[in-house]
Amino acid sequence: MTFLPITVAVLVAGGVYLLLQPGMVRIIFGITLLSHAANVVLLAAGVSAWRAEPLDTHAGDEVADPLPMAFVLTAIVITLAVTVLMLAMARLGGDDDTYRIPDSGEERHA
Amino acid sequence: MTLVWLLVALAAVPVLVVPLTGAIGRRTGWVVAVAYVAIAAAMVPTARDVLHGDPVSTTYEWVPTLGVSFSLRLDGLGLVFLTIVLLIGAAVMAYSAEYLSPKRQLGFYLWMTTFALGMAGLVLADDLVLLFLCWEITSLASFLLIANAGSGGEAGAGRTMLMTFIGGLALLVAVSVTIVATGTTSLSEVLASDVWSDQGPLTVTVAVLVAIAGFTKAAQFPFHPWLPDAMAAATPVSAYLHAAAVVKAGIYLMLRWSEAFHDVAVWNVLLVCTGLFTAAMAGLFALTQTDLKKLMAYSTVSQLGLITAAIGIGTPKALTAAVVHTIAHALFKSGLFMMVGVIDHGAGTRDIRRLPALRRAMPWSFATVIVGTAAMAGVPPFLGFVSKELLLGSMLTATGPTWAGWAAFLGLDGGAVLTFAYCAKILFGAFVDGERDLDDTVHEPGWALLLPAMLPIWAGLPLGLAAGVLHEPVDTAVQAMVHHEAYELSLWHGITPELIGTIVIISIGTVLVLNRLPLRPRLERSLLPFSGSGAIDGSVRLAHRFGGFLARTVGVDHPARHVVPPLVVLTLVLGVGSAGSLALGDVPATVDDLWRPIDAALLLLVTLGVLGVVLSQSRLAATVFLGGVGIAVTVQLFALGAPDVGLTQLMVEMLTVIVIMLVLRSLPTTFAHRTMGRRKGPMVLAVAVGVAAGLGTWVLTGRRGIAEPGRYFIDEGYEETGAHNLVNVILVEFRALDTLGELTVLGFAGLAIVAVLASVPQSARRAAAEPPRLRPMGDLDDPRAAHALEDAVGNLRPLQLLLRLLLPALVVVSAVIFWRGHNDPGGGFIAALIGSSAVALVYLGRADDRPVGPHRLHVGLVAGGVLLATLTGLLGYLEGDAPTYLAPLYTYLGSVHLTTSMIFDVGVYAAVLGLVMIAFDKLGNAEQMPDEDDAPLEPAGPANPREEERA
Repeated sequence: MTFLPITVAVLVAGGVYLLLQPGMVRIIFGITLLSHAANVVLLAAGVSAWRAEPLDTHAGDEVADPLPMAFVLTAIVITLAVTVLMLAMARLGGDDDTYRIPDSGEERHA
Repeated sequence: MTLVWLLVALAAVPVLVVPLTGAIGRRTGWVVAVAYVAIAAAMVPTARDVLHGDPVSTTYEWVPTLGVSFSLRLDGLGLVFLTIVLLIGAAVMAYSAEYLSPKRQLGFYLWMTTFALGMAGLVLADDLVLLFLCWEITSLASFLLIANAGSGGEAGAGRTMLMTFIGGLALLVAVSVTIVATGTTSLSEVLASDVWSDQGPLTVTVAVLVAIAGFTKAAQFPFHPWLPDAMAAATPVSAYLHAAAVVKAGIYLMLRWSEAFHDVAVWNVLLVCTGLFTAAMAGLFALTQTDLKKLMAYSTVSQLGLITAAIGIGTPKALTAAVVHTIAHALFKSGLFMMVGVIDHGAGTRDIRRLPALRRAMPWSFATVIVGTAAMAGVPPFLGFVSKELLLGSMLTATGPTWAGWAAFLGLDGGAVLTFAYCAKILFGAFVDGERDLDDTVHEPGWALLLPAMLPIWAGLPLGLAAGVLHEPVDTAVQAMVHHEAYELSLWHGITPELIGTIVIISIGTVLVLNRLPLRPRLERSLLPFSGSGAIDGSVRLAHRFGGFLARTVGVDHPARHVVPPLVVLTLVLGVGSAGSLALGDVPATVDDLWRPIDAALLLLVTLGVLGVVLSQSRLAATVFLGGVGIAVTVQLFALGAPDVGLTQLMVEMLTVIVIMLVLRSLPTTFAHRTMGRRKGPMVLAVAVGVAAGLGTWVLTGRRGIAEPGRYFIDEGYEETGAHNLVNVILVEFRALDTLGELTVLGFAGLAIVAVLASVPQSARRAAAEPPRLRPMGDLDDPRAAHALEDAVGNLRPLQLLLRLLLPALVVVSAVIFWRGHNDPGGGFIAALIGSSAVALVYLGRADDRPVGPHRLHVGLVAGGVLLATLTGLLGYLEGDAPTYLAPLYTYLGSVHLTTSMIFDVGVYAAVLGLVMIAFDKLGNAEQMPDEDDAPLEPAGPANPREEERA
């Protein structure tokens, strides 16, 4: 019995739904949710039974696996970078509709 | 001079050209000409060895694991081509110094000399890989030289590129197949190899591929259209590349491989048929041209066809003819191209219809063109006559049935009649038949222009009279190909079929010339309803349309369509895979005690938050819900025993929300509305992917003990590094290279924002920068209340007061967190994010949108951070036991444990801070774009060099 997979499922479902919406901001929100999901999956891969902080190594068998944590930390900061970059794109042209080219407003997909 | 020094000298020329053109502009050509003549003179002793039958070779190891070596070899054949490259090159360079417009002309000289280097490398290469590389250098330089002509040359340059790269690919395949089949990359070994003797499928394949490669460069049908296209290039380019060098690269390749293929039937038939057809076709097209330069281009195609046919015959006499005609053609054609430039210069046009009869105004040019065209037409006593006789005679030596030889003889004779006719057209069109009146502006240009053009043409006269001089070099060249003596060269061979052929050519030609005036209007029109370059453009358009069709199926410009196929695949693999493993029952049981009660509470919060993000139509509301989800996930991270990760997530969450708010100011308040029908599809897919992801997580995690690497870090981490915080140690020591990569991604994301925003025109940004007016209370009746809401300065006073205390505190906290990172939760990332939050507060505390910190500080931080982290890695090489990149060094200062990974962490800190500052500066000032932001990437100093060049 564990709740983490359900959390992952909820985050992924929400993220994918937003990813399929028109509009850059919703796509960015979707990617943020997907990143959360990915991070939880990575930590779950370290087995969530042991949850002692990997600071005091004398805690013995209860210490959580530090390697997935390092991965997740890296992932979080990269998510920040990617999110900020995509937000910059979203702001171009005054509308974030991904169905239009910002400058000319020309309809791309009938 | 050894071969390596030859290449070094030739490589030094393009390098010297850069400062030289800056100093003396177009006159650089004289220096380059002198250099080429000097290099050629220095090669004389080596050349003498080669002529005595001792090919010179040298080898250096290059890629030993692949057996590729830097091998050079100069034999008789290479010597002929090398001489052409250097001497014709010198003449053309001297001509360019006067011909080109008085500008710097860096592009021209740089690519011309690079081309000469590539060409010399090609004829010297004794390694297949090196041969291919040099082949591509000549292709690229040729493309650049045509494109250098400006907008007029672009389309032609593109088509040239396409054609020559088809040949390049064919050569690449041929070279690869050959290397695999023979097990060596040495060209001389490959050519002498006995794998070709059985004439099986391998031989046929390679022979056809080499022929295709040769055809593309030597402009043989159906690859010929690029050469007339390339006439957009400057005349010296045509004189060098399109008469003497680049087209001769194709001829060289075919001659070189003759050693292996001269008796392969496919090779013989393919080359002879293509060559003769091309000669006749291009000869006819040449007659339809009125632009002298285009006419010259078709005539080149035609002459190359004759040489190709001779190579196809493959007998010693035919190869002798091919080599001699290559020499003769290089001389008269490069000269004639230059003469077209002289005519253009003197009369202001090179179109026959607009030229006056120039013979009186330009007598020297007239005489020179007479000699040049007579040589091309095969009139005695020029070298062109000797080679044309040889070509004719060699057709009869063809292997196979007698009729084949006679057919080839007649075909070539027909081609030669056309040659005679268009030679006459050049001469009479430019100098005799012109209907316009000569005006005073038409003049003979100076000797500086005329002499380099005359030299190669007049050289054909003594060489023709004393053709025996050429016997030794031609003989060594032919020996290099077929190990057989060359045919004797002389003006007079007695009454032979070829002499009768020549008499026929001259007689029919003369009849045609006498009737030229009525014939011309019939010919000067397009003979075909389509053109070669049109056909290429058509196929390119077709390829574009096909590519567009392929792209539509994955929707690269359509995010939703773009991600659906991967998501469906993911769902199937993960969902079906997990369900399958469960059903088969070979999954280990889960570990006990995987959950805590708080997980359930957090799941509830996350679910509510996600529903909120998905359902809200207001961007603001969605952002609030997104922040909520972020906080719930952060708590979940803490609950999983990951304090570093949790802290990072918390800081990132806050900063992300602030940046989102900045961006939302310039966007509509609500999301675009969609009808229910269009939401169903995404909803179904979203649920499916969610279920698959959840199922996968459940099946694939929590079913084993702690992993080996994790165990290692927990058990040995402290002993190895002297640090308690394992996550931090993994980031900056064990897996520091990962972090360095991450840092770079981070920095480049920041630079990309700066660059992208700089590329959007100011007007577009201003149009976009009309933020919706956010009025939380709706329109207020009381003007004082409305004013109070919008009074930014007054509203911010409390925050500014708070900042006076908060800022120093944040700086201190940031420093402490940085310092303690080794043993307690903290480190460069978290500290930088705390520093970033100080930046965010400073920004929010200001009433107007102004950049935080000095101009371009953020870019400096990113660059400095990445640079510092990268350089710190080098310190790792000082490590005593195992010097590797990024290996940490330790020391103690008193009782304080110090490590180089802390310097690395400073780099991390700077890069993260720089990225956040970029985000605030670039996304924050939507309403007022300071003028200095117009071109943030360009130096603030005087003029931008690129601008200067464009001007």
